[in-house]
Amino acid sequence: MITTGMTMRMATSMAESAHLPLAIWLSPAFPVGAFAYSHALEWAVECGAVQDAATLSTWIDDLLRCGSGRNDAILLAASHRAANDAAALIEINELALALAPSRERHLETSAQGAAFVIAMRAAWPCAALDALDGETAYPVALGAAAAGHHVPLAATLEHFLLAFTANLVSAAVRLGPIGQTDGQRVTAGALPAIHATARFALTSTLDDLGSATLASDLASMQHETQYSRLFRS
Amino acid sequence: MNAPLLSHHVPIGARARGAIRARFSALDGRSALADLYEAGGLRLRFPRNAQTCEAVLVNTGGGIIGGDRAELSFEVDAHADAMITTQSAEKIYRAQNVPAEVALSLRAGAGARLEWLPQETILFEGAKLKRSFALDMADDARVTLLEATTFGRLAMGESSISGMLADRWRLRRGGKLVLADDLRLEESIGATLDRKACGQGARATALFLHLAPEAESLLDLARETLAPATCAWGASAWNGLLAIRLLSPAPETIRAALVPLLETLRGRSAPRVWQ
Repeated sequence: MITTGMTMRMATSMAESAHLPLAIWLSPAFPVGAFAYSHALEWAVECGAVQDAATLSTWIDDLLRCGSGRNDAILLAASHRAANDAAALIEINELALALAPSRERHLETSAQGAAFVIAMRAAWPCAALDALDGETAYPVALGAAAAGHHVPLAATLEHFLLAFTANLVSAAVRLGPIGQTDGQRVTAGALPAIHATARFALTSTLDDLGSATLASDLASMQHETQYSRLFRS
Repeated sequence: MNAPLLSHHVPIGARARGAIRARFSALDGRSALADLYEAGGLRLRFPRNAQTCEAVLVNTGGGIIGGDRAELSFEVDAHADAMITTQSAEKIYRAQNVPAEVALSLRAGAGARLEWLPQETILFEGAKLKRSFALDMADDARVTLLEATTFGRLAMGESSISGMLADRWRLRRGGKLVLADDLRLEESIGATLDRKACGQGARATALFLHLAPEAESLLDLARETLAPATCAWGASAWNGLLAIRLLSPAPETIRAALVPLLETLRGRSAPRVWQ
Protein backbone atom coordinates (compact mmCIF):
# COMPACT_ATOMS: atom_id res chain seq x y z
CA MET A 1 0.00 0.00 0.00
CA ILE A 2 1.36 3.36 -1.05
CA THR A 3 0.46 5.20 2.17
CA THR A 4 2.22 2.67 4.40
CA GLY A 5 5.36 2.74 2.29
CA MET A 6 5.40 6.50 2.37
CA THR A 7 4.84 6.58 6.13
CA MET A 8 7.76 4.25 6.71
CA ARG A 9 10.02 6.21 4.40
CA MET A 10 9.14 9.44 6.19
CA ALA A 11 9.60 7.86 9.61
CA THR A 12 13.11 6.80 8.67
CA SER A 13 14.07 10.13 7.20
CA MET A 14 12.67 12.02 10.19
CA ALA A 15 14.28 9.95 12.90
CA GLU A 16 16.74 12.70 13.70
CA SER A 17 14.20 15.52 13.91
CA ALA A 18 10.90 13.93 14.79
CA HIS A 19 9.38 17.23 15.93
CA LEU A 20 10.07 19.18 12.77
CA PRO A 21 6.76 18.41 10.99
CA LEU A 22 4.93 20.10 13.89
CA ALA A 23 6.49 23.43 12.94
CA ILE A 24 4.96 22.97 9.48
CA TRP A 25 1.53 21.60 10.45
CA LEU A 26 1.02 24.17 13.20
CA SER A 27 2.47 27.11 11.32
CA PRO A 28 -0.02 29.91 10.54
CA ALA A 29 0.87 29.21 6.88
CA PHE A 30 -0.53 25.67 7.00
CA PRO A 31 -3.88 25.92 5.19
CA VAL A 32 -6.38 25.27 7.98
CA GLY A 33 -7.55 28.89 8.16
CA ALA A 34 -6.86 29.27 11.89
CA PHE A 35 -6.63 33.07 11.45
CA ALA A 36 -10.39 33.21 10.80
CA TYR A 37 -11.34 32.03 14.30
CA SER A 38 -11.08 33.98 17.55
CA HIS A 39 -12.59 31.26 19.77
CA ALA A 40 -15.05 33.90 21.13
CA LEU A 41 -12.24 36.32 21.97
CA GLU A 42 -13.85 38.87 19.63
CA TRP A 43 -16.90 38.98 21.90
CA ALA A 44 -14.73 39.04 25.04
CA VAL A 45 -13.05 42.18 23.65
CA GLU A 46 -16.38 43.69 22.58
CA CYS A 47 -17.90 43.32 26.06
CA GLY A 48 -14.73 44.47 27.84
CA ALA A 49 -13.81 41.17 29.52
CA VAL A 50 -10.51 41.34 27.62
CA GLN A 51 -9.14 44.87 27.32
CA ASP A 52 -5.36 44.72 27.79
CA ALA A 53 -2.41 42.35 28.09
CA ALA A 54 -3.25 41.39 31.69
CA THR A 55 -6.87 40.42 30.98
CA LEU A 56 -5.86 38.64 27.78
CA SER A 57 -3.30 36.62 29.76
CA THR A 58 -5.85 35.46 32.33
CA TRP A 59 -8.41 34.68 29.61
CA ILE A 60 -5.89 32.47 27.76
CA ASP A 61 -4.64 30.96 31.03
CA ASP A 62 -8.21 29.89 31.89
CA LEU A 63 -8.69 28.26 28.48
CA LEU A 64 -5.37 26.41 28.78
CA ARG A 65 -5.75 25.22 32.36
CA CYS A 66 -9.47 24.57 32.73
CA GLY A 67 -11.15 25.15 29.38
CA SER A 68 -11.08 24.14 25.73
CA GLY A 69 -7.26 24.07 25.57
CA ARG A 70 -7.22 21.40 28.27
CA ASN A 71 -10.07 19.42 26.69
CA ASP A 72 -8.55 19.57 23.21
CA ALA A 73 -5.21 18.41 24.62
CA ILE A 74 -6.95 15.40 26.22
CA LEU A 75 -8.72 14.62 22.93
CA LEU A 76 -5.48 15.01 20.98
CA ALA A 77 -3.68 12.63 23.35
CA ALA A 78 -6.46 10.02 23.08
CA SER A 79 -6.37 10.28 19.28
CA HIS A 80 -2.59 9.93 19.18
CA ARG A 81 -2.87 6.71 21.18
CA ALA A 82 -5.79 5.41 19.10
CA ALA A 83 -4.19 6.16 15.71
CA ASN A 84 -4.02 2.46 14.83
CA ASP A 85 -7.51 1.66 16.06
CA ALA A 86 -10.04 3.01 13.56
CA ALA A 87 -13.11 2.24 15.70
CA ALA A 88 -11.65 4.00 18.76
CA LEU A 89 -10.57 6.98 16.68
CA ILE A 90 -14.05 7.36 15.18
CA GLU A 91 -15.55 7.31 18.67
CA ILE A 92 -13.11 9.97 19.95
CA ASN A 93 -13.89 12.11 16.92
CA GLU A 94 -17.63 11.84 17.54
CA LEU A 95 -17.08 12.92 21.16
CA ALA A 96 -14.79 15.81 20.18
CA LEU A 97 -17.35 17.17 17.71
CA ALA A 98 -20.19 16.79 20.23
CA LEU A 99 -18.22 18.69 22.88
CA ALA A 100 -18.42 21.94 20.90
CA PRO A 101 -20.51 24.28 23.08
CA SER A 102 -22.04 26.34 20.26
CA ARG A 103 -22.58 26.52 16.50
CA GLU A 104 -19.46 28.63 15.89
CA ARG A 105 -17.19 26.51 18.06
CA HIS A 106 -18.49 23.46 16.19
CA LEU A 107 -17.62 25.21 12.92
CA GLU A 108 -14.21 26.21 14.27
CA THR A 109 -13.12 22.68 15.08
CA SER A 110 -14.83 20.91 12.14
CA ALA A 111 -13.77 23.36 9.40
CA GLN A 112 -10.15 23.38 10.59
CA GLY A 113 -10.29 19.61 10.97
CA ALA A 114 -11.55 19.18 7.41
CA ALA A 115 -8.95 21.57 5.97
CA PHE A 116 -6.18 19.85 7.95
CA VAL A 117 -7.19 16.41 6.67
CA ILE A 118 -7.26 17.63 3.06
CA ALA A 119 -3.86 19.28 3.32
CA MET A 120 -2.36 16.25 5.06
CA ARG A 121 -3.76 13.77 2.54
CA ALA A 122 -2.20 15.81 -0.24
CA ALA A 123 1.24 16.36 1.26
CA TRP A 124 1.61 14.08 4.30
CA PRO A 125 -0.53 10.98 3.73
CA CYS A 126 -0.70 8.39 6.49
CA ALA A 127 -2.95 5.41 7.23
CA ALA A 128 -4.12 6.89 10.55
CA LEU A 129 -6.02 9.65 8.77
CA ASP A 130 -7.92 7.21 6.56
CA ALA A 131 -10.25 6.31 9.44
CA LEU A 132 -11.41 9.93 9.66
CA ASP A 133 -14.03 10.21 6.97
CA GLY A 134 -16.55 13.01 7.03
CA GLU A 135 -16.72 15.66 9.73
CA THR A 136 -13.50 15.73 11.75
CA ALA A 137 -12.51 17.63 14.88
CA TYR A 138 -9.17 19.43 14.51
CA PRO A 139 -7.32 18.07 17.60
CA VAL A 140 -8.38 14.53 16.67
CA ALA A 141 -7.03 14.88 13.13
CA LEU A 142 -3.77 16.38 14.44
CA GLY A 143 -3.32 13.67 17.08
CA ALA A 144 -3.91 10.86 14.59
CA ALA A 145 -1.63 12.41 11.96
CA ALA A 146 1.17 13.00 14.45
CA ALA A 147 1.04 9.37 15.57
CA GLY A 148 0.87 8.26 11.93
CA HIS A 149 4.11 10.11 11.26
CA HIS A 150 5.77 8.94 14.50
CA VAL A 151 5.85 12.41 16.00
CA PRO A 152 5.96 12.04 19.80
CA LEU A 153 2.82 12.94 21.76
CA ALA A 154 4.54 15.24 24.28
CA ALA A 155 5.92 17.54 21.58
CA THR A 156 2.64 17.45 19.66
CA LEU A 157 0.72 18.58 22.75
CA GLU A 158 3.11 21.45 23.45
CA HIS A 159 3.18 22.69 19.86
CA PHE A 160 -0.59 22.39 19.57
CA LEU A 161 -1.22 24.42 22.74
CA LEU A 162 1.39 26.98 21.69
CA ALA A 163 -0.30 27.38 18.28
CA PHE A 164 -3.68 27.72 20.00
CA THR A 165 -2.23 30.45 22.23
CA ALA A 166 -0.42 32.24 19.42
CA ASN A 167 -3.60 32.26 17.34
CA LEU A 168 -5.55 33.88 20.20
CA VAL A 169 -2.80 36.45 20.71
CA SER A 170 -2.74 37.22 17.00
CA ALA A 171 -6.52 37.67 17.05
CA ALA A 172 -6.20 40.04 20.02
CA VAL A 173 -3.60 42.11 18.16
CA ARG A 174 -5.92 42.40 15.16
CA LEU A 175 -8.85 43.28 17.44
CA GLY A 176 -6.92 46.14 18.96
CA PRO A 177 -6.64 45.77 22.74
CA ILE A 178 -2.90 44.99 22.58
CA GLY A 179 0.01 45.69 20.26
CA GLN A 180 2.63 43.31 18.82
CA THR A 181 5.07 43.70 21.70
CA ASP A 182 2.48 43.03 24.37
CA GLY A 183 1.34 40.08 22.27
CA GLN A 184 4.80 38.53 22.51
CA ARG A 185 4.81 39.09 26.29
CA VAL A 186 1.44 37.33 26.61
CA THR A 187 2.66 34.37 24.54
CA ALA A 188 5.83 34.10 26.63
CA GLY A 189 3.78 34.32 29.82
CA ALA A 190 1.55 31.46 28.69
CA LEU A 191 4.40 28.94 28.53
CA PRO A 192 3.99 27.63 32.11
CA ALA A 193 0.29 26.89 31.47
CA ILE A 194 1.16 25.28 28.13
CA HIS A 195 3.76 23.04 29.79
CA ALA A 196 1.46 22.15 32.68
CA THR A 197 -1.50 21.23 30.48
CA ALA A 198 0.65 19.31 28.00
CA ARG A 199 2.23 17.36 30.86
CA PHE A 200 -1.19 16.61 32.34
CA ALA A 201 -2.67 15.54 29.01
CA LEU A 202 0.21 13.14 28.37
CA THR A 203 -1.18 10.68 30.93
CA SER A 204 -4.82 11.74 30.76
CA THR A 205 -7.80 9.67 29.70
CA LEU A 206 -11.13 10.74 28.23
CA ASP A 207 -12.50 10.48 31.76
CA ASP A 208 -10.48 13.62 32.60
CA LEU A 209 -12.48 15.76 30.18
CA GLY A 210 -14.04 18.73 31.89
CA SER A 211 -14.16 22.47 31.57
CA ALA A 212 -14.90 25.39 33.89
CA THR A 213 -14.93 28.12 31.23
CA LEU A 214 -18.65 28.79 31.18
CA ALA A 215 -18.19 32.46 30.28
CA SER A 216 -16.06 31.61 27.25
CA ASP A 217 -18.65 29.07 26.07
CA LEU A 218 -21.37 31.65 26.57
CA ALA A 219 -19.28 34.27 24.72
CA SER A 220 -19.07 31.95 21.71
CA MET A 221 -22.88 32.04 21.57
CA GLN A 222 -23.04 35.81 22.07
CA HIS A 223 -20.53 36.27 19.24
CA GLU A 224 -23.15 34.94 16.80
CA THR A 225 -25.15 38.14 17.08
CA GLN A 226 -22.24 40.57 17.41
CA TYR A 227 -22.93 43.53 15.12
CA SER A 228 -19.54 43.94 13.49
CA ARG A 229 -17.27 40.90 13.18
CA LEU A 230 -13.80 40.09 11.83
CA PHE A 231 -13.87 36.44 12.88
CA ARG A 232 -16.00 33.36 12.21
CA SER A 233 -16.02 32.46 15.92
CA MET B 1 -7.63 16.64 66.99
CA ASN B 2 -6.69 12.96 66.78
CA ALA B 3 -10.28 11.84 66.46
CA PRO B 4 -10.65 9.77 63.31
CA LEU B 5 -12.65 11.26 60.50
CA LEU B 6 -16.12 9.85 60.87
CA SER B 7 -16.57 9.41 57.13
CA HIS B 8 -13.80 6.82 56.99
CA HIS B 9 -15.80 4.58 59.26
CA VAL B 10 -19.18 4.85 57.66
CA PRO B 11 -19.47 2.11 55.08
CA ILE B 12 -20.72 3.29 51.71
CA GLY B 13 -23.80 1.06 52.10
CA ALA B 14 -24.93 3.16 55.04
CA ARG B 15 -25.36 6.17 52.78
CA ALA B 16 -28.62 6.76 51.02
CA ARG B 17 -29.17 4.81 47.83
CA GLY B 18 -32.16 6.02 45.91
CA ALA B 19 -33.57 4.90 42.61
CA ILE B 20 -36.48 5.73 40.38
CA ARG B 21 -37.30 3.91 37.21
CA ALA B 22 -40.40 5.06 35.41
CA ARG B 23 -41.81 4.34 31.99
CA PHE B 24 -44.58 6.21 30.26
CA SER B 25 -46.70 4.89 27.40
CA ALA B 26 -49.39 6.24 25.10
CA LEU B 27 -52.69 4.43 25.51
CA ASP B 28 -55.72 5.44 23.44
CA GLY B 29 -54.12 8.80 22.65
CA ARG B 30 -53.33 9.59 26.28
CA SER B 31 -50.00 9.26 28.05
CA ALA B 32 -49.84 7.37 31.30
CA LEU B 33 -47.43 5.72 33.66
CA ALA B 34 -46.71 2.18 32.50
CA ASP B 35 -44.07 1.04 35.01
CA LEU B 36 -42.69 2.46 38.22
CA TYR B 37 -39.94 1.32 40.58
CA GLU B 38 -39.06 3.42 43.62
CA ALA B 39 -36.25 2.70 46.07
CA GLY B 40 -34.65 4.54 48.97
CA GLY B 41 -36.02 7.97 49.75
CA LEU B 42 -37.09 8.82 46.19
CA ARG B 43 -40.76 8.97 45.18
CA LEU B 44 -42.71 10.09 42.15
CA ARG B 45 -45.97 12.01 42.47
CA PHE B 46 -48.44 12.54 39.65
CA PRO B 47 -50.39 15.79 39.86
CA ARG B 48 -53.22 16.26 37.40
CA ASN B 49 -52.03 18.01 34.24
CA ALA B 50 -54.24 18.51 31.18
CA GLN B 51 -51.29 19.11 28.83
CA THR B 52 -48.94 16.20 29.55
CA CYS B 53 -48.32 13.33 31.91
CA GLU B 54 -46.57 15.16 34.76
CA ALA B 55 -44.33 13.45 37.30
CA VAL B 56 -42.88 15.26 40.30
CA LEU B 57 -39.78 13.78 41.88
CA VAL B 58 -39.69 13.96 45.68
CA ASN B 59 -36.56 13.33 47.74
CA THR B 60 -37.96 12.40 51.15
CA GLY B 61 -34.41 12.55 52.53
CA GLY B 62 -34.57 16.34 52.16
CA GLY B 63 -31.18 16.69 50.50
CA ILE B 64 -28.10 14.86 49.32
CA ILE B 65 -24.89 14.23 51.22
CA GLY B 66 -21.49 12.86 50.20
CA GLY B 67 -21.66 9.17 49.37
CA ASP B 68 -25.35 9.26 48.49
CA ARG B 69 -26.26 7.73 45.18
CA ALA B 70 -29.35 8.31 43.14
CA GLU B 71 -30.16 6.52 39.91
CA LEU B 72 -32.96 8.02 37.90
CA SER B 73 -34.30 6.46 34.76
CA PHE B 74 -37.20 7.80 32.73
CA GLU B 75 -38.43 6.20 29.55
CA VAL B 76 -41.06 7.65 27.28
CA ASP B 77 -42.36 5.14 24.76
CA ALA B 78 -43.32 5.92 21.18
CA HIS B 79 -45.74 8.85 20.84
CA ALA B 80 -46.09 9.28 24.60
CA ASP B 81 -45.59 12.62 26.33
CA ALA B 82 -44.17 13.08 29.83
CA MET B 83 -42.72 15.92 31.87
CA ILE B 84 -40.64 15.30 34.97
CA THR B 85 -39.87 18.00 37.49
CA THR B 86 -38.93 18.15 41.18
CA GLN B 87 -40.90 19.19 44.24
CA SER B 88 -38.21 21.50 45.55
CA ALA B 89 -34.70 22.74 44.93
CA GLU B 90 -32.20 19.95 45.61
CA LYS B 91 -29.79 20.73 48.44
CA ILE B 92 -26.30 19.23 48.30
CA TYR B 93 -24.73 19.26 51.78
CA ARG B 94 -21.06 19.31 52.73
CA ALA B 95 -19.32 16.04 51.88
CA GLN B 96 -16.71 14.65 54.26
CA ASN B 97 -14.91 12.72 51.62
CA VAL B 98 -16.56 10.97 48.72
CA PRO B 99 -18.88 12.90 46.40
CA ALA B 100 -22.58 12.27 46.01
CA GLU B 101 -23.51 10.75 42.68
CA VAL B 102 -26.63 11.31 40.64
CA ALA B 103 -27.09 9.39 37.40
CA LEU B 104 -29.94 10.35 35.11
CA SER B 105 -30.82 8.15 32.18
CA LEU B 106 -33.47 9.24 29.69
CA ARG B 107 -34.97 7.48 26.71
CA ALA B 108 -37.46 8.90 24.24
CA GLY B 109 -39.01 6.63 21.59
CA ALA B 110 -40.30 7.47 18.12
CA GLY B 111 -42.43 10.60 18.12
CA ALA B 112 -42.20 10.83 21.91
CA ARG B 113 -41.93 14.02 23.93
CA LEU B 114 -39.84 14.02 27.07
CA GLU B 115 -39.16 16.98 29.34
CA TRP B 116 -36.73 16.99 32.28
CA LEU B 117 -37.32 20.28 34.08
CA PRO B 118 -36.14 19.96 37.67
CA GLN B 119 -35.81 22.95 39.99
CA GLU B 120 -32.34 24.21 40.72
CA THR B 121 -29.64 22.36 42.64
CA ILE B 122 -27.99 24.29 45.47
CA LEU B 123 -24.44 23.39 46.44
CA PHE B 124 -23.68 24.13 50.09
CA GLU B 125 -20.15 24.93 51.28
CA GLY B 126 -18.04 21.77 50.88
CA ALA B 127 -20.54 19.96 48.65
CA LYS B 128 -19.18 17.38 46.25
CA LEU B 129 -21.43 16.19 43.47
CA LYS B 130 -20.92 14.06 40.38
CA ARG B 131 -23.79 13.94 37.92
CA SER B 132 -24.30 12.17 34.64
CA PHE B 133 -27.02 12.89 32.11
CA ALA B 134 -27.49 10.26 29.41
CA LEU B 135 -30.11 10.58 26.72
CA ASP B 136 -31.02 8.12 24.00
CA MET B 137 -33.69 9.54 21.72
CA ALA B 138 -35.32 8.59 18.44
CA ASP B 139 -34.66 10.84 15.44
CA ASP B 140 -38.14 12.34 15.54
CA ALA B 141 -38.56 12.56 19.33
CA ARG B 142 -38.64 15.93 21.10
CA VAL B 143 -36.69 16.39 24.29
CA THR B 144 -36.30 19.42 26.55
CA LEU B 145 -33.67 19.38 29.31
CA LEU B 146 -32.85 21.90 31.98
CA GLU B 147 -30.30 21.98 34.75
CA ALA B 148 -29.86 25.03 36.98
CA THR B 149 -27.20 25.17 39.67
CA THR B 150 -26.54 27.67 42.46
CA PHE B 151 -23.12 27.78 44.11
CA GLY B 152 -23.53 28.44 47.85
CA ARG B 153 -26.35 29.58 50.12
CA LEU B 154 -25.91 33.17 49.09
CA ALA B 155 -28.51 34.53 51.53
CA MET B 156 -26.57 32.91 54.39
CA GLY B 157 -23.31 34.58 53.38
CA GLU B 158 -21.86 31.55 51.60
CA SER B 159 -20.51 33.74 48.84
CA SER B 160 -17.46 31.77 47.70
CA ILE B 161 -17.73 28.04 48.29
CA SER B 162 -15.23 25.23 47.96
CA GLY B 163 -16.26 21.78 46.83
CA MET B 164 -16.66 19.87 43.61
CA LEU B 165 -19.13 19.66 40.78
CA ALA B 166 -18.64 17.37 37.81
CA ASP B 167 -21.45 17.16 35.28
CA ARG B 168 -21.21 14.84 32.30
CA TRP B 169 -23.78 15.09 29.50
CA ARG B 170 -23.95 12.53 26.70
CA LEU B 171 -26.94 13.03 24.42
CA ARG B 172 -27.58 10.62 21.56
CA ARG B 173 -30.13 10.88 18.81
CA GLY B 174 -30.66 7.87 16.57
CA GLY B 175 -27.58 6.35 18.22
CA LYS B 176 -25.33 9.28 17.24
CA LEU B 177 -23.74 11.50 19.88
CA VAL B 178 -25.08 14.99 19.14
CA LEU B 179 -24.05 16.83 22.28
CA ALA B 180 -21.51 16.21 25.02
CA ASP B 181 -20.76 18.61 27.82
CA ASP B 182 -18.39 18.13 30.74
CA LEU B 183 -18.47 20.73 33.48
CA ARG B 184 -15.74 20.42 36.09
CA LEU B 185 -15.40 22.77 39.03
CA GLU B 186 -13.02 21.72 41.76
CA GLU B 187 -11.73 22.98 45.10
CA SER B 188 -12.14 26.77 45.23
CA ILE B 189 -15.30 26.93 43.14
CA GLY B 190 -15.97 30.56 44.09
CA ALA B 191 -12.47 31.69 43.05
CA THR B 192 -12.76 29.78 39.77
CA LEU B 193 -16.13 31.35 39.05
CA ASP B 194 -14.60 34.79 39.61
CA ARG B 195 -12.18 34.24 36.73
CA LYS B 196 -12.90 36.06 33.48
CA ALA B 197 -13.32 33.11 31.12
CA CYS B 198 -15.01 30.95 33.78
CA GLY B 199 -17.82 32.78 35.53
CA GLN B 200 -17.00 36.51 35.67
CA GLY B 201 -18.28 36.50 39.24
CA ALA B 202 -21.29 34.25 38.63
CA ARG B 203 -22.78 32.19 41.44
CA ALA B 204 -25.46 30.49 39.40
CA THR B 205 -25.70 28.92 35.98
CA ALA B 206 -28.21 27.02 33.88
CA LEU B 207 -28.14 24.96 30.74
CA PHE B 208 -31.32 24.64 28.72
CA LEU B 209 -31.40 22.21 25.79
CA HIS B 210 -34.08 21.45 23.28
CA LEU B 211 -33.61 18.62 20.80
CA ALA B 212 -36.30 18.26 18.15
CA PRO B 213 -36.71 18.31 14.38
CA GLU B 214 -37.77 21.99 14.61
CA ALA B 215 -35.30 22.95 17.39
CA GLU B 216 -33.00 25.12 15.26
CA SER B 217 -35.94 27.18 13.97
CA LEU B 218 -36.69 28.27 17.57
CA LEU B 219 -33.45 30.25 17.92
CA ASP B 220 -34.91 33.66 17.08
CA LEU B 221 -37.85 33.09 19.41
CA ALA B 222 -35.45 32.09 22.18
CA ARG B 223 -33.40 35.27 21.70
CA GLU B 224 -36.52 37.45 21.67
CA THR B 225 -37.78 35.80 24.84
CA LEU B 226 -34.44 36.26 26.57
CA ALA B 227 -33.93 39.88 25.48
CA PRO B 228 -35.33 41.41 28.71
CA ALA B 229 -33.33 39.03 30.96
CA THR B 230 -30.98 40.65 33.46
CA CYS B 231 -28.57 37.70 33.63
CA ALA B 232 -25.89 36.94 31.02
CA TRP B 233 -27.21 34.53 28.41
CA GLY B 234 -26.31 33.03 25.08
CA ALA B 235 -28.32 30.96 22.63
CA SER B 236 -27.14 28.85 19.73
CA ALA B 237 -28.55 26.20 17.42
CA TRP B 238 -26.77 23.49 15.47
CA ASN B 239 -26.88 19.69 15.09
CA GLY B 240 -30.70 19.76 15.32
CA LEU B 241 -30.64 21.24 18.79
CA LEU B 242 -31.10 24.54 20.57
CA ALA B 243 -28.76 25.31 23.50
CA ILE B 244 -29.09 28.18 25.94
CA ARG B 245 -26.63 29.02 28.69
CA LEU B 246 -27.29 31.45 31.50
CA LEU B 247 -24.82 32.85 34.00
CA SER B 248 -25.34 35.30 36.85
CA PRO B 249 -24.16 36.39 40.30
CA ALA B 250 -27.88 36.34 41.28
CA PRO B 251 -29.76 33.01 40.95
CA GLU B 252 -33.15 34.76 40.93
CA THR B 253 -32.29 36.48 37.64
CA ILE B 254 -31.74 33.09 36.04
CA ARG B 255 -35.02 31.77 37.34
CA ALA B 256 -36.77 34.92 36.07
CA ALA B 257 -35.26 34.36 32.62
CA LEU B 258 -36.16 30.67 32.55
CA VAL B 259 -39.89 30.92 33.30
CA PRO B 260 -40.86 32.77 30.08
CA LEU B 261 -38.47 30.53 28.15
CA LEU B 262 -40.19 27.43 29.53
CA GLU B 263 -43.49 28.78 28.21
CA THR B 264 -42.66 30.22 24.78
CA LEU B 265 -40.31 27.48 23.60
CA ARG B 266 -42.49 24.61 24.78
CA GLY B 267 -45.82 26.17 23.77
CA ARG B 268 -47.31 25.18 27.11
CA SER B 269 -47.29 26.59 30.62
CA ALA B 270 -44.19 26.23 32.78
CA PRO B 271 -44.37 23.52 35.45
CA ARG B 272 -46.34 24.80 38.44
CA VAL B 273 -43.32 24.47 40.71
CA TRP B 274 -41.45 26.86 38.40
CA GLN B 275 -44.08 29.60 38.38
